[in-house]
Amino acid sequence: MKIHRRNKDKSGNPLTDNMDLSQRYRKVEEIKLGLHLEENLKTLLQLSGNSIDVKFRRFSINKNIPGVLIYIDSMINNASVEEILRVLMIDTQKIECRDESHQLLRTAIKDLITVNNIEEVNDIYSLFAKIALGSTAVLIDGQSEALVCDTTGFKTRDITDPSAETTIQGPREGFVETLWVNTSLIRRQIRVPHLWIEGLEIGKLTKTMVAFAYIKGLADEKMLAELRSRLNRIDTDSILGSGYIKEFITDQPFSIFPLLLRTERPDIVCSAILEGKVGLFVSGSPHVLVLPAELPMFLQSPDDYYEDAIAGSFVRILRWAAVSISVLLPSFYVASVNFHQELLPTALLLRVTASREGVPFPVFTEILIMELLFEVLREAGIRLPAAIGPAISIVGALVLGEAAIRAGMVSPAVVIVVALTAIAGFTTPVYSMSIAFRLTRFAFTLLAAVLGLFGVQFGLLLLTTHLCSLRSFGMPYMMPVAPLIMRDMKDNIFRLWVWGRDTRPKLPGKREPYRQASGQKPGPVKSYNKKENKNGY
Amino acid sequence: MGIEKITNRQLFFILFMMRVTVVIGFLPVLTSADAQQDAWISAIVSFFGAALLVLIIVGLGMRFPDMTAVEYAQKLIGKWAGKAVSLIFVWAFLVIAATDIRIYGGVLITGFLSETPLSFIIFTMVIAGSIAAYSGIEVISRAADLLFPVFLSMLVLSLMFAIPDFLLLKNNLEPVLARGAGPVLRGSIIPTIIIAQYLILTMIIPATEQPKKALRVALWALAGASAVLVLATLTVIAIMGPDRGYRTVFPFFSMVTTLNISEFLERIEPLTLFAWGFGVFIGVSTFMYCGSKGMAQILGLEDYRPLVGPLAVISGVFAIHSYQNVFQLLTFFQPKIAGPYALSLIIVPMGILWTAYGIRCLQNRGIK
Repeated sequence: MKIHRRNKDKSGNPLTDNMDLSQRYRKVEEIKLGLHLEENLKTLLQLSGNSIDVKFRRFSINKNIPGVLIYIDSMINNASVEEILRVLMIDTQKIECRDESHQLLRTAIKDLITVNNIEEVNDIYSLFAKIALGSTAVLIDGQSEALVCDTTGFKTRDITDPSAETTIQGPREGFVETLWVNTSLIRRQIRVPHLWIEGLEIGKLTKTMVAFAYIKGLADEKMLAELRSRLNRIDTDSILGSGYIKEFITDQPFSIFPLLLRTERPDIVCSAILEGKVGLFVSGSPHVLVLPAELPMFLQSPDDYYEDAIAGSFVRILRWAAVSISVLLPSFYVASVNFHQELLPTALLLRVTASREGVPFPVFTEILIMELLFEVLREAGIRLPAAIGPAISIVGALVLGEAAIRAGMVSPAVVIVVALTAIAGFTTPVYSMSIAFRLTRFAFTLLAAVLGLFGVQFGLLLLTTHLCSLRSFGMPYMMPVAPLIMRDMKDNIFRLWVWGRDTRPKLPGKREPYRQASGQKPGPVKSYNKKENKNGY
Repeated sequence: MGIEKITNRQLFFILFMMRVTVVIGFLPVLTSADAQQDAWISAIVSFFGAALLVLIIVGLGMRFPDMTAVEYAQKLIGKWAGKAVSLIFVWAFLVIAATDIRIYGGVLITGFLSETPLSFIIFTMVIAGSIAAYSGIEVISRAADLLFPVFLSMLVLSLMFAIPDFLLLKNNLEPVLARGAGPVLRGSIIPTIIIAQYLILTMIIPATEQPKKALRVALWALAGASAVLVLATLTVIAIMGPDRGYRTVFPFFSMVTTLNISEFLERIEPLTLFAWGFGVFIGVSTFMYCGSKGMAQILGLEDYRPLVGPLAVISGVFAIHSYQNVFQLLTFFQPKIAGPYALSLIIVPMGILWTAYGIRCLQNRGIK
């Protein structure tokens, strides 16, 4: 751990209120647990500043060896701590330890305590890090090693519906804030030892657990090495959630397009891991990062797989169309009304022109006002408590929209365009991607207002160049489309039958290209013949 | 970043789009000579001429699969002479990029942006092209992957919508070869020499995954583009009549303008232009990439990127100042002017290099 050493202070000084954080770091690194219980206790008390939630429970072994149990209130499972206390106070009477062989005593106690994980810890930082996760430390006089017993029993949120990524069918489990629960959700799906989960702690103050899961032998080692080096590079004091990690390890920080997929659905993470990708878990965050991510991933929903293949393909293509609408429709409207009236059929053009009669703004301003208004409404709708959320839609849609048209401030055509755009935008399954699309929409509208359709083309060229130049952990961002990989198309833009999906995606799964035997197309019973069918069924 | 590699499919897309955009842009078979209703035969003839030139361009590259023309020129005829010859390539890329951009600007201005200043249109295309060139050939080829379907569907749609009118007016195609082969051959000159675009292969072959197949890819792209040219010419002649087609500046787009499928699809011309611009973009960015890459290798720079900006500015200025108006552009594309010019851009450097290569081979044989 890198610690900034600005001021040098002499070792041996007690911790004082004047000491800055970095000085405290240094100080605590020097302190090791000693042999005297009272001194150890004094140090710990001084260090934790008598914090009210840190509990010290005194006891004595054989009525002559004093000891202390340290734990944090309501992080522990009461029954296990009581069990430890019982062992220490009653069962230890059986062991003969009149001699001063403390090593023996410690081993004897370790054998008696029946929790599933006991560690000997000498360093104060690890001691605290473990207590803060619900462990209980046993300090005994004359022992410089604390016994840290796993007694975790704090409350976690139940596994509930992933509220931001709803599906009609499919599992209802969503990730929670506890890392171990999240990894277990993956582990119970992929039950082979080849599922490796590597963990590390990031953040000097938060000591956030970060873990990444992958299938050894399937995930690309180069990519894993890259991920490890990017994670190890992070030197910060706090990681609060996966968003922090995402910004630290992304390939192109200035792109508005998310280069890592954030999801709260275990089934998405599982299927990605099975394709040779990596799931990155961050303690305290119900969102798991999937990497490398490519743009088509953001337009897929697990529902596609739980529906019929043809229906799934239809929905996927529909989503692409909806994205195109949500990005391009306002700009096409502005361009065709301002510059290319010939694009619209005459009847439609007349309607649009008639509806624009008396509107005081130019068409671009009109669109911009309505788009911004919609963004404000959407944001307000998210922030409002669920109980009064619908009120916003009434005020927004009915009162504002209707009144604005009645008053002749905006034309009905613009309201239709904006509403259509908004609805099309909602089809994007991943929220961070829909934000990116929304921002590009504004740029396109501006270009259309200045240059017409030609400006839209310019924008599309820039967008194409940008998207094609992006890479996520070495994989092209537009993967099966550009570079074109026909083999991957069957589970990308389309969603073909599971029995036909013999291959993994080419680039992430290149180490094991085949995921199943080919030729598993099901059909009616082969032995069926008409002679046997006596009853005419 | 490692060495950039593009697949043969991407190379095909780039070459196809590059050629199709220019040849259908102003249909040189029809507008550059007096082939009239036989212009489509000129298109077929031009395929053979162009294929010959492709052999000349690519043949040497195949013998040095991991070297660009700049590198093997220096190897074949010495450092300074090689650099001097390579300058011709860079010049060719610059001129072709500028002409591509100018055609694009011309089409847009005569098509539907008549009040927009030309420099503005050229400016935007130069910016888009140079950003792509700056991002590298991999990005350009991925963009080609992405834009090719749009481009192709534009072609197919425009030609499909033309079928009813074509069937109605196919009499315009007669009589065939009434005035002998002369006009037909004259008409095929310009589309043949436009193959100077494929000089980019001298720079791109080392970046392909299978350089050995580059010739096949180039010929297929040429064949595809020629097929499109034949179809487009047939359609234009039938629908607009050979005479009007000859006198129109951008006949293909004028033809698309007249299409009228139903009440709802009255004019698909802006959408056609829209997709056609994608092709121009791919062409322009590839030329800029090859030009700056070649220049960087001539100057001995490790990275070509610092040269993209200057080159983009120069090609933009060229595009504006080389041709004062669209008619000057058309005058340039007369067989008498552009023919010898573009042919010399191909024949002179490639001739020198082939001769040097031949002498090398003879020498080696002599030693053995």
